[in-house]
Amino acid sequence: MQKYRARVLSTALLAVALAALGLAGTAQAKLTGEYTKFAQCPYKTAEVKKCVYAVTESGEVVLGSKKVPIEKPVTLQGGAGAINEEEFGKFYAATNGITLSKAPQNVPGGLLGIVPDASSPALVKALIKFFLENSLTGVNSTLELATPASNIMISESHLAGEEGIALKLPVKVHLENPFLGKNCFVGSSTSPINWNLTTGTTSPPAPNTPITGAGGEGELLEAGHIIRLKNNKLVDNAWSAPSPAGCGGILSFLVTPIIKAQLGTTTAGHNAAILKGTVMSAAAVAVKKNDEEHP
Amino acid sequence: MRTKATAIGTALVALVALCAVFATSASAAPAWKFETKSLEGSEVILGGALESSLTIPGLTTKCENFLYKLTIKNEAGTGKGEVTELPLYNCTTDTAACSVSKIGAEKLPWPSHLTTVSTTPYIIIEGVRVSILYGGEECALNETLVPVTGSAGGSINNTTETATFNASTLSATGTSLKALSTKIEWNGVFPTEAFQWHREQAISVS
Repeated sequence: MQKYRARVLSTALLAVALAALGLAGTAQAKLTGEYTKFAQCPYKTAEVKKCVYAVTESGEVVLGSKKVPIEKPVTLQGGAGAINEEEFGKFYAATNGITLSKAPQNVPGGLLGIVPDASSPALVKALIKFFLENSLTGVNSTLELATPASNIMISESHLAGEEGIALKLPVKVHLENPFLGKNCFVGSSTSPINWNLTTGTTSPPAPNTPITGAGGEGELLEAGHIIRLKNNKLVDNAWSAPSPAGCGGILSFLVTPIIKAQLGTTTAGHNAAILKGTVMSAAAVAVKKNDEEHP
Repeated sequence: MRTKATAIGTALVALVALCAVFATSASAAPAWKFETKSLEGSEVILGGALESSLTIPGLTTKCENFLYKLTIKNEAGTGKGEVTELPLYNCTTDTAACSVSKIGAEKLPWPSHLTTVSTTPYIIIEGVRVSILYGGEECALNETLVPVTGSAGGSINNTTETATFNASTLSATGTSLKALSTKIEWNGVFPTEAFQWHREQAISVS
């Protein structure tokens, strides 16, 4: 009797396990072809009308007197809602939480490029010497989303039409080096750097002059369900950046002002963002359908 | 004496060269004619495309009714004109996903002029701007306004009294149309028939 009970129980457990596996299988997206790019799109959310996948492959970010080339790809992914009267759709965060990927970019000149040894206080000098001796001179600049993804706004019409703002992106720049500590940022959630990127021509205040982006070469894929814009160029050189904050850990009161001085003026007209890459967009319904067709 | 002969020779060469330049520019600027006579004043050409399609890579848009109204005239012996109306109806795409919600010509009139490339007469239309709003829940361009802009050159056939626009004619005239920042293909055959003062008269360009 006991043996029989044990057998029934183990069979039941096996059935439950198999059912769980089966459920896990259906929950897993199995997108195919070009649809695979949209695996992190919240296409099951009713409000999401489009899926967006944009990779910046090159370009540069100019912050005051510092220019950081983009050498490692940065990905923006998620969903976009119905467009409003101004032709903007609200952004929805990527399902894996990585709406804007964190790709550390090398800051030319490293530590000495942003904390000059000569003009620094003795304590800072001594610390820099230590970091130089231990080859910890590399500084990375990582672009991060400053506010929730819902504050990103995208206009596909402007993106393709090469006029007006195509992408509103609130960001902050994370400067990373052991000497700078973990909290050295330009921009924050309460005071973000607001990029109003366009594929058209900018109208920046002086001393910057207008620069022009590009929609790129458009192509419809997967029977019109996906659009890809290759060689897309988004630009903005009219943005302002707040002062850096939190640099140098406990020596922040000494280091942050030095970095601020090194960056120079970061008011509007002194900065630029040039993002070159590929933008892909798909109808959320089509991505969902592709998912359902490939369980 | 030899100097004089050289001077005359140089002058003749210069004259011949000058004539050649004028001959080139004259052939590059044909005029509108009706029953072989140069058009005086202006005339209205009205018609509908026999066939017309517009292709963005991966998506072709066709319109059943592609009408146009073109006012023409000759200015200093050169055919000119302007497209004043371009109503487009019953437009569809070659995909099940995308439909055409709205389509319309903008910033009319579009100036035009005649030219000749390798003995073939062409009409060049400048300042083209057509906006297409695509629809379809599954279409990647759903609710996206796609402007088609640029200039287009079409070859004129005096025998069939038609103007043909395609990749070859755009290339021959150095013109191009863009949508989604991409060069697009436009194929169309348009009859050129007078609808004002020269009805039922043979139209030609030379």
